[in-house]
Amino acid sequence: MTAPHADQLIDGYLARLNAAAADLPKGARQELVDDVRAHIAEARAREPQETDATILNILDRLGAPATVVAEARERLGIQPSVPYRPGLLEIFALVLLLFMWPIGVVLLWISPAWRMRDKIIGTLLPPGGYWGLALGGIFFATAHAGGVCVITDAASQAFQSACQTPPGPSPLETILLVAAVIIIWVLPLITAGYLAIRLRWGRQPQPAMASLQMENS
Amino acid sequence: MPADGLVSQMRRGALEYCVMALIQHTPRYAFEVIEALGQTGMLTTEGTLYPLLSRLRRDGLVRTEWRESSDGPPRRYYELTPEGRRALTAFRSEWTSFRASVDGILQEGKKS
Repeated sequence: MTAPHADQLIDGYLARLNAAAADLPKGARQELVDDVRAHIAEARAREPQETDATILNILDRLGAPATVVAEARERLGIQPSVPYRPGLLEIFALVLLLFMWPIGVVLLWISPAWRMRDKIIGTLLPPGGYWGLALGGIFFATAHAGGVCVITDAASQAFQSACQTPPGPSPLETILLVAAVIIIWVLPLITAGYLAIRLRWGRQPQPAMASLQMENS
Repeated sequence: MPADGLVSQMRRGALEYCVMALIQHTPRYAFEVIEALGQTGMLTTEGTLYPLLSRLRRDGLVRTEWRESSDGPPRRYYELTPEGRRALTAFRSEWTSFRASVDGILQEGKKS
């Protein structure tokens, strides 16, 4: 065997092809990788003498994984993942999400810069749930206030004395209160920060580095 | 050169009919199609044939069949469907008249 790196070269190529095809439908991606694998096997069988160079030639003739996948996208009518540049729309979305939630959330859904999962996270987590939480908090507060015992029965004086002492916050209530503050004030910032990060990193186009590794190996 | 894009688009468009023509009479497996196209310069990156074949199959223009081979793993053979035959026939006549018109005009342009 004079092709000591044959398997390594081929596996590397197929891995890059598979990675480049990440946004194809699963069936189409699998079929493409299987077809190319069969092609390589077929081409190898035809080489009278196999060396690393013949393997590299076979892979060269196949074309760069990105080229093959671009063709697949076009033939399947799949929009290439164009590097969308986040701009004013996204900035407004993030700011309004914090201060004018309904408008912010509409912008969040309009913008193509976030994936579905992030849009749902942005909608459900505070500040998405901010108004829901605020309403919940108000409800909780009133319910709590109304919960002060209204015992007029003279026979339960002892109870009343206990009830009249202002109900100081129990440890549990303190924890709940702190949690509520965190949820209402900190989580929105975390959510906005998360969305800002996803905005920048979530839509990176496929790294073009993959095809370069070939030359180095 | 501005014609580059056009020519590559034309080649791309014509390629699928060339592939269909190659399997019109005898079913072939992909590698044979590539070998047949190899000399013509129609296919510069061999890997791009596979998405094309998938597309033809999805469109019902070709069908595939696995066959055992004497010297290796089973091969997937591609064969035209009746629908593929119709599409190829239609393309043939379109192409012939298209080529004739363009040739005529180009010749005309050369003379003057």
